[in-house]
Amino acid sequence: MGYTLNTAQANQVLAALRKDYTVYAPKRFRNQGRYSATDVIRYDEVERWEDIVWDVKSDYPAKEVLTPIQQAIFYFTEDEYRESKGPKKPILVLARPCDINAQHVQAKIYAGNGGYTDLYYERMRELVKFAMMECNGGDDTCFCVSMGTNKTDDYSLALKFSEDGVQVQVTDDAFAPYFEGQPEADYTPAFVEENELKVTLPDLEDKEVRKALKNHPMWKEYDARCISCGSCTVACSTCTCFTTRDIIYGDNPEVGERRRVTSSCQIAGFDQMAGQREFRSTAGDRMRYKVLHKFHDYKARFEDSHMCVGCGRCTHRCPELISISATLNKVSAAVDEIKAGQAKQ
Amino acid sequence: MMNPVQPKPCTILDVHKESAHEWTFRVETDAKVSHGQFMQLSIPKIGECPISVSAQGDGWLEFTIRNVGKVTNVIFEKTAGDTLFLRGPYGKGWPVDQFQGKHVVVITGGTGLAPVRSMLNCFASQPDMVKSVHLISGFKNEEGIVFHKELEAWKEKFSTIYALDNDTKEGWRTGMVTAFVKEIPWDSFEGNYAVVVVGPPPMMKFTGLELLKNGVDAEKIWMSFERKMSCAVGKCGHCRIDETYVCLDGPVFPYTVARDLVD
Amino acid sequence: MNHDINVKKTRLNCFRQSKVPGEFMLQMRVPGGMVDAKYLENVKHIAKTWGDGNFHFGTRQTFDIAGIKYENIPAVNEYLEQYIKEVSTELCDVDMNTVAHEPQPWDPKSGYPTIGARNITACIGNYHCICGNINTFELARKIEPLIFPSHYHIKINISGCPNDCNKAHMCDFGIIGVSKMTYHAERCIGCGACVRACEHGATRVLSLNEGIAKVDKDPCCCVGCGECVKACPTSAWTRSEKPLYRVILGGRTGRQTPRTGKMFLNWASEDVIIGVLKNWQKFSAWVMDYKPEYLHGGHLIDRAGYKKFKEIILEGVELNPECLVAEDMFWHETEYRSNINVKPIEQHHTAGPQA
Repeated sequence: MGYTLNTAQANQVLAALRKDYTVYAPKRFRNQGRYSATDVIRYDEVERWEDIVWDVKSDYPAKEVLTPIQQAIFYFTEDEYRESKGPKKPILVLARPCDINAQHVQAKIYAGNGGYTDLYYERMRELVKFAMMECNGGDDTCFCVSMGTNKTDDYSLALKFSEDGVQVQVTDDAFAPYFEGQPEADYTPAFVEENELKVTLPDLEDKEVRKALKNHPMWKEYDARCISCGSCTVACSTCTCFTTRDIIYGDNPEVGERRRVTSSCQIAGFDQMAGQREFRSTAGDRMRYKVLHKFHDYKARFEDSHMCVGCGRCTHRCPELISISATLNKVSAAVDEIKAGQAKQ
Repeated sequence: MMNPVQPKPCTILDVHKESAHEWTFRVETDAKVSHGQFMQLSIPKIGECPISVSAQGDGWLEFTIRNVGKVTNVIFEKTAGDTLFLRGPYGKGWPVDQFQGKHVVVITGGTGLAPVRSMLNCFASQPDMVKSVHLISGFKNEEGIVFHKELEAWKEKFSTIYALDNDTKEGWRTGMVTAFVKEIPWDSFEGNYAVVVVGPPPMMKFTGLELLKNGVDAEKIWMSFERKMSCAVGKCGHCRIDETYVCLDGPVFPYTVARDLVD
Repeated sequence: MNHDINVKKTRLNCFRQSKVPGEFMLQMRVPGGMVDAKYLENVKHIAKTWGDGNFHFGTRQTFDIAGIKYENIPAVNEYLEQYIKEVSTELCDVDMNTVAHEPQPWDPKSGYPTIGARNITACIGNYHCICGNINTFELARKIEPLIFPSHYHIKINISGCPNDCNKAHMCDFGIIGVSKMTYHAERCIGCGACVRACEHGATRVLSLNEGIAKVDKDPCCCVGCGECVKACPTSAWTRSEKPLYRVILGGRTGRQTPRTGKMFLNWASEDVIIGVLKNWQKFSAWVMDYKPEYLHGGHLIDRAGYKKFKEIILEGVELNPECLVAEDMFWHETEYRSNINVKPIEQHHTAGPQA
């Protein structure tokens, strides 16, 4: 079933949906950017259709809805850790194909790795349905086609936004009633077939090559350039790492909560145990760790895909203008050099 | 749905001071633990940390803890009757089945003795399990020595070399554990042996190299890793090395795997 | 060479006397230091046609062209008509037929009518700079019609942020772009990047609260620079929706009593800045009893005393709720000449209505 809605009609549908779903979409937060007079676009609950930002990519990923930057996982007293309650109301997330594909990556870790399923991820994931926002091509940091994450069929609704309104495809019958009486018109979503940016992934299959790559001087460049702020992993659609922290409520130190808070392998101290030195003590070490995880280690463990959907947000958010695609090109060059060296021997 | 990170309250039965900085806590629990596995210890308002099980018995487990972090600092304020929170056990322990009928060589540095302590006690009480036990235990100095009672008892059961890095002590040797690797009668084992190495990362690295130098088969060496963890169930990412999660795939690794892991 | 030139008059016309008798240097106003690059053609034309062929960046961001012969001043002024019309009248909405807000017809071919209000200088601000909190030259263009044309002297410097590259602390009326930050605790991951940024580059008002793994702030000494916002990987710190301003008063260089300025207003809105500067002509006129002298604004404040200055300059200005005003002012000169801060008001040259 397809529909073509003007903004007023879209608002009617949104209002109806909001009775049964909490609807999340990218929204513009004025003047909240890193630099003054710049905005931030990030996920938030939407109440008005006009608030949905569809023409540019959000600065922060859709994962913030499913795995919030901060969430209470337990409430504790002196003698009990009581599990927090999750949301009850179903959730509809408007997301581009890259963000939807990123959830399949996150699920491999949260729901399955080691035979453990994370309750907090699973209870959210069970509530979430996706409304796929047809991507208008992204920007010059996007390389979803190179990563094979430009397409998805994991959606209940497909939406094609325009200045005048929206075209809708309903693929999940549960959503049909919300569109009753709205003007019907066929719409089949299209997917980005080509990005301006094309990335060739380095061949990291060979263990000896990887070993040499880990010691390659290319990573030293990042000791001087990267400031280990973690903006890249916070903005990453797929990164999952977190830390748990017990916090106490102000005037009663015996009561508090155990929180799960986003953490980053790029920030100093990520691998530091109490009273011991860091294993990765330089920005270059941390960059190497991240890049190899994204483009080798994850796939080596979970087999079906890399841990990158080519959304380009890491590049987009980096305050030091480090580009992941340029980094991959440098890795490729280093791998070629290593292989040439091995061939000579 | 089961929550794999739910801590359960447990009562402290006894606190034993091994050294100034290392205390052993006996905690009431019926958790079934393999030698070398670890548990997550929680203290409300302070947090959670992974601690290896250093001994086990009927209805209790022991944890030997060094007070270096904010969680462990607060654990040191606890006494018998107080509550600790536990979850676990987690990870893969020592492959004790594979050690059966073999000459077992155990080399430890400092508190690295804790994760092998329960296995050593098992060997001590069931001498038929293995052909022999050779134990090299090194400590930085006299103040760092833990498990005094067991170290004495094991002298009777095992072939032991105890050493301090720089200091001297009666009946003890002076030097790094690597210096004593060559004293193990490797040839007499006729290939029927297993080697266990636990200690700080540099100690394990150099011990591994020393073992190879002495002709020890890399495939017969095991090591136990210690890494930062938040969840212990493969979610938080802190302990990941390459495609390996220390919490799931370790903490005990065959040396052939361990030597290739680059943090 | 035998000349008879009224150099005071040429000075009012923005032509500065040269050490070479009969030569002058033109100073063209560039409010906020920013104009369309096409005007460089005009600068070049003047320099090559009437000047010595060189161009100097004025220390107050004017286009300076030296070596103009006295007899060529009328031709230069005629040529300036278009530039003044486009930059002063159209870009900045200046009413050229006034002086100090009073009607006074201006001959468009006569060049600049006054030298009193100096060119408003500005750093590049957030038009470009990653540190800037405000658009500095847009503010300069709003202020320009309030102070120019006028024979009352004032030097205004605008800095986009508290780093104060443009030395708001060293002029009569320095304006610094600031922001009041909002802390979104739910987005904070406790990484401490803001704490380190504030320690390293600002006033050390942030600290990591280990108990709650969040950041505490001592708002008292926050200078509103935005380093915390820049450092934050999660947008947990954000700037206020509208920029705010700090005013640094009475700074100056000079042979006698150089001093850095002192804070007059903090967290002032743009409306307050505009309102205050609208009163500048009135204040100056009061101090000098409507007889302008070649004397800078800071000296007028000294003559009047800070309390009187504050009374006149804030007349009719509605302060925004966050705005703080200095109750008193404790100047801190380099004492080459005099202790202005303890010099009795009546011993100053003049202050207030004269008989």
